[in-house]
Amino acid sequence: MSTRLSGRAAAPGADVAPAFVLAPQPVLTKLPEVASGAPEEEATRLLGALQRAEAELRELAERVAESAGEEEGEIFEAHAEFAADPELARLTEEAVRAGTSAERAVVGAFETFRELLVASASEYLAARAADLDDVRDRVVKILLGMSTGGDRPEQRSVVVAHELTPSETASIPVELIAAIVTETGSPTSHAAILARALGVPAVVACDGVLAATRVSVDIAVDGRAGEVTVDPSPDERAAIVRRHEQEERRRQDLGALRDEPGRTADGHPVELAANIGSIDHIPAAVEAGGQGSGLVRTEFLFIGRVTAPTVEEQTKVYAEILRGFPGHRVVFRTMDVGADKPLPFVERDPEENPALGLRGIRLSLRRPDLFRDQLRALVRARGDVDGEDAGRLAIMFPLVATAGELEAARRVLRSVAEEEGVGLEGVEVGVMIEVPSGALGAARLARSADFFSIGTNDLIQYLFAVDRLNGAVADIGDVLEPDVLELIRSVVEAGHANDAWVGVCGEAAGDPTVAGALVGLGVDELSMTKVAIPEVKDALRRLTRDECREAVQAAIAGAADAVGSRALLEERLGTSLG
Amino acid sequence: MPEARVTLRNPTGLHARPAKIFAKAAATFPADVAVEKDGRRVNAKSTLSLLTLDCHQGDEILISVEGDDADETLAELVALVEAGIGEHEGGGAAT
Repeated sequence: MSTRLSGRAAAPGADVAPAFVLAPQPVLTKLPEVASGAPEEEATRLLGALQRAEAELRELAERVAESAGEEEGEIFEAHAEFAADPELARLTEEAVRAGTSAERAVVGAFETFRELLVASASEYLAARAADLDDVRDRVVKILLGMSTGGDRPEQRSVVVAHELTPSETASIPVELIAAIVTETGSPTSHAAILARALGVPAVVACDGVLAATRVSVDIAVDGRAGEVTVDPSPDERAAIVRRHEQEERRRQDLGALRDEPGRTADGHPVELAANIGSIDHIPAAVEAGGQGSGLVRTEFLFIGRVTAPTVEEQTKVYAEILRGFPGHRVVFRTMDVGADKPLPFVERDPEENPALGLRGIRLSLRRPDLFRDQLRALVRARGDVDGEDAGRLAIMFPLVATAGELEAARRVLRSVAEEEGVGLEGVEVGVMIEVPSGALGAARLARSADFFSIGTNDLIQYLFAVDRLNGAVADIGDVLEPDVLELIRSVVEAGHANDAWVGVCGEAAGDPTVAGALVGLGVDELSMTKVAIPEVKDALRRLTRDECREAVQAAIAGAADAVGSRALLEERLGTSLG
Repeated sequence: MPEARVTLRNPTGLHARPAKIFAKAAATFPADVAVEKDGRRVNAKSTLSLLTLDCHQGDEILISVEGDDADETLAELVALVEAGIGEHEGGGAAT
């Protein structure tokens, strides 16, 4: 018999597929310290778990080799090798015989190897550290009696989880995600953002879904209504298929808006741009109706390389991106890489806390060779497309915390332009507002910035002191918290008072409700994941600027928190997906 | 204790598949086998330990063997390294 549940609509669409329950990860900080049994028993338990992990991984390797090819299979074959490693077994056994619990011993031994691998400058070895983590988690799960099955679905599935963290979803091939349902979360949590980016339906805060879901039972998801049906009847299945067709038609209808500019119902222009993380993203961004790019994540040129890309190489790529958006603005964010993504050509000390470490503009100013090369390539790319029908170059510095950093970065840019013998007229230079000091000091920054772009993800992480990759605290902090809305308003005011335009390039911009609120706060540009553009464009074209203004005013004045604020906004803006 | 210095000729050094092949080969012998690079010495029968040495093409390693059939074991492992540990010199994997 079917079970009907309701949650919060988080991403539009409708689909039905088998359930895939994402097993929760073991909490490594909450393992027993001391063995419950005698060291001898604990050692037997430990070696048994290692052997079982190896056997499971060999079987998985075989299965994956058959379904996805030899190369994919070899990944798990290597994992099996780690589980069977004699040194690892020796280290863990030693610890267990000294009285440590098997779980702790495993975590400790893996950590020893992990540190050695990460300490080398090799990118290949750093990647193996992630493999080690996977094997460690499997062994710990076996020891704790948790399920190790279903690390990834074998067919297109509805992913069901308590809450999704980015690292969890990374293990699932995106083409296998038919829909996402989470027990907790909000429409701005990672699950919702991911679903919108993939164009699949999502329902969050769906109380009871885990209890109702059994292995490989079908689940029907209506992401616009926020409805979930576990084990649907033939009628319910037919209904969701009809809804799916409706959604497809709606997608096509929205496609008709492709070449229309973003604006409110009363004609106030709002630029709707696409976030770009690779050249390959450009055609889809243009197809979705993106008016340029408000965020080109240039890191993609640097990550996964042994040596830094040359000026020539960068110039070619930047020029190609400019050519991809004729007549529009293209905002290149200079390299934003932290210690969490080590680059072999950037020597640095390991950091306890990469999010607060040497990254963004801090790293660029510390490594003028890399920074100058990148700026040189940007300036040359602009020269290369001169006279062509291409996009307009804008340069944005990430993680700016003080006006001094912006001054220093601008000086480097001027010096590079002088060396190249070109002027910088028409090149907008701006700041990503993502550090609280930058947001609070926006008036000071605005004096030497042509624009601001608010990066909501990082800004929220820093404002609320919440590690956004940590699922345990992921529900804290939201762009719709009244205090965040007020802060954004003050940034917009500071920008406008100094003739700087203000955009938002965080994931939240792709949520129609948030988009309406941001337009109400005076934001001029929204840059988002490309799939979100049609829905946001459609939503804004139904609203006047005053309606947006009044709605966000009501949320700031009347809501106690993000939940209240969203409810008020949805009611006034009519942007609820349901 | 017999030991020998050898230079890694194969493209990926002691990474990925060659690390595994070398460890597996070492594990077929009863003697203790160690590999040393830059003063760090590890159990050669452990793929993980070999990986932590981060040995690249052109690096010199010291292989030492202690126990039964030590000389024979050393000769076989040196020959394996000189044959490129399953990879062609400067090229892809041997087939």
